[in-house]
Amino acid sequence: MGGEPGRKALDAALEDAPGARGRAPRRRWPQALGSYALTLLALVTLNFLLPRAMPGDPIEALAAEGSGGFTFGEQSRQALEEYYGLDGSLLEQYGSYLGRLARGDLGRSIATLAPVRDEISRRLPWTILLVGGSLLLATGIGLLTGVHAGWRRDRPLDRTLLTVLLAVRELPTFLLGSLLLFLFAVKLEWLPLAGAQDTFGSFGPVGKVVDIGRHLLLPLVVLGLGLAVGTYLVMRAGMVTQLGSDHLLLGQAKGLGQRRLKYRYAARNALLPVVSLAALQLGFAITGDVLVERVFTYPGLGRLLFDSLTARDYPVIQGVFLVVSVTVVTVNALADGLYRRLDPRTVA
Amino acid sequence: MTPRRAGQLRSPLVVAGLALLGLMVLVALFAPLLASHDPRSISGNVLESPSSRHWLGTDVPGRDIFAQLVYGTRASLVVALLGGSLAMVAAVALGVLPALLGGFVDTLVNRVMVFLLALPTLPLVVVIGSLAGSSHLTLIVVIGFLGAAPNARILRSQALALRQRGFIGAARGFGGGPLYVLRRHLVPGLAPLLTVGFVNWAGVAIGLEAALSFLGLGDPSRVSWGLMLNRALEPEIRIYFSAMWTWWVLPAGMGIAATVIGFTFVGVGLEPSFNPRWLRSS
Repeated sequence: MGGEPGRKALDAALEDAPGARGRAPRRRWPQALGSYALTLLALVTLNFLLPRAMPGDPIEALAAEGSGGFTFGEQSRQALEEYYGLDGSLLEQYGSYLGRLARGDLGRSIATLAPVRDEISRRLPWTILLVGGSLLLATGIGLLTGVHAGWRRDRPLDRTLLTVLLAVRELPTFLLGSLLLFLFAVKLEWLPLAGAQDTFGSFGPVGKVVDIGRHLLLPLVVLGLGLAVGTYLVMRAGMVTQLGSDHLLLGQAKGLGQRRLKYRYAARNALLPVVSLAALQLGFAITGDVLVERVFTYPGLGRLLFDSLTARDYPVIQGVFLVVSVTVVTVNALADGLYRRLDPRTVA
Repeated sequence: MTPRRAGQLRSPLVVAGLALLGLMVLVALFAPLLASHDPRSISGNVLESPSSRHWLGTDVPGRDIFAQLVYGTRASLVVALLGGSLAMVAAVALGVLPALLGGFVDTLVNRVMVFLLALPTLPLVVVIGSLAGSSHLTLIVVIGFLGAAPNARILRSQALALRQRGFIGAARGFGGGPLYVLRRHLVPGLAPLLTVGFVNWAGVAIGLEAALSFLGLGDPSRVSWGLMLNRALEPEIRIYFSAMWTWWVLPAGMGIAATVIGFTFVGVGLEPSFNPRWLRSS
């Protein structure tokens, strides 16, 4: 959606998307695994170095910003350094950091004093629901519209869809979200205004699902719309390149029906880049998720990030960043592997 | 300027985009004439409705919203200009220069760029921004450097193609160093791409700044559209329970959308003619 660097990154990434130009080098399993492990290590190291590379140090930041401005003497400073693992040389710190990480210890929240891991796992299901749901929605809508638009390229429907979707992509996520909220929750009163479920309602199992679905609908649509545009564009472009291909011509010559040609012949081949796209889109979805969760007061990871940003709760901010980026990197590596399975040509 | 390129400048998309941006520049320049109140100081009661004194009402301490809308144009344009330029400078330094040098440096820098591209943008900016403090300049620097990775990749591939061409080889053969070739041949050769990249990233920068201010990462003493939205959507304001939404959230959001769309139109309109075929085919 508008203003997020996703678009730029998407374009750059698609240049390299497997199959896009047929020149992306495919690697064998051990090499791919090694590169994945290296990326993870770089990620963890980045997370370790960032707070230490910044001017000032975390403990000063702790005292300076938003924490009531308490001051401390040398002794309590040492205690704090020890508590946050900031004593000893950089290498020692790195060692103990890796050790704690391996045990799944992400530190403690400054605001709530609860372990960061617990804070994150409490919010994670909502984000999985929202981000996963919107990715599914986006891929579904993008595929269907893309297949259709590409098949009937340059017809009025194709032109209209292209313009409308490009315009939708430029709308800031939070404006679109706020607009839908105003229309459907305030003016029409069809849907709830905030949260992920009704705090005071007591429902049966069916009622609970309906309630969660009603809260989910608007954030899901807002997040999904922006993502659908990406899928749509890739699928449309894929279909267009298929239009003149030999096997399609052969199918036509054999007298196959339009439906069969469209879905079995053209769409199937155009589908491959969408697989790597769906994984790439996870990264953009998370960016959108942070904004959408603030607009809809949705209690997921994005909201946690926002809340801890307000409280300058660095351990939580870093924990969320680590979990989210490890997920994105892992999903992309998996999609890479899946792609290999789907398209035997890439292993050659 | 070739006739074809001049013709492209008159394409409806580019004209519409430039008109939109020109309007924004005028608003930014003449902000003191357009707004009769200071956007930072209290000039009315809390949460006034629109009136002849306050065209878009007032916010919580009683500041004029219309004045904030008008002055917010300045913040956005500054971010666009600086963020876009910085991204291009960084992209040349990290994309074109290593490609020219080749060898280990190139491999390393390229790997780092690929790594950065794989990370989810907003959480990364939030981490850096929260640690670096929320000054306006920090935000612009972060946004600019964020533009390095995607743009460096595009520029790199073109620079690699350009490097193979005869005149570069000749210049190097006559003893031109990498910096000389970069300045004299590569940057002029890549100028069309740099222009489009700048325009595109300027639009992205506006959206990112708005998003970060909206999340509360901006400088709270600045006047910006993202900050207006941030304040308007605070839970205690209860923005949705009155018509306040229409004169507070909507104008700020439309301001962001209009500026981003202005840059996008110019970028999309320029792309065909600024992406010369000779650059691609070589």
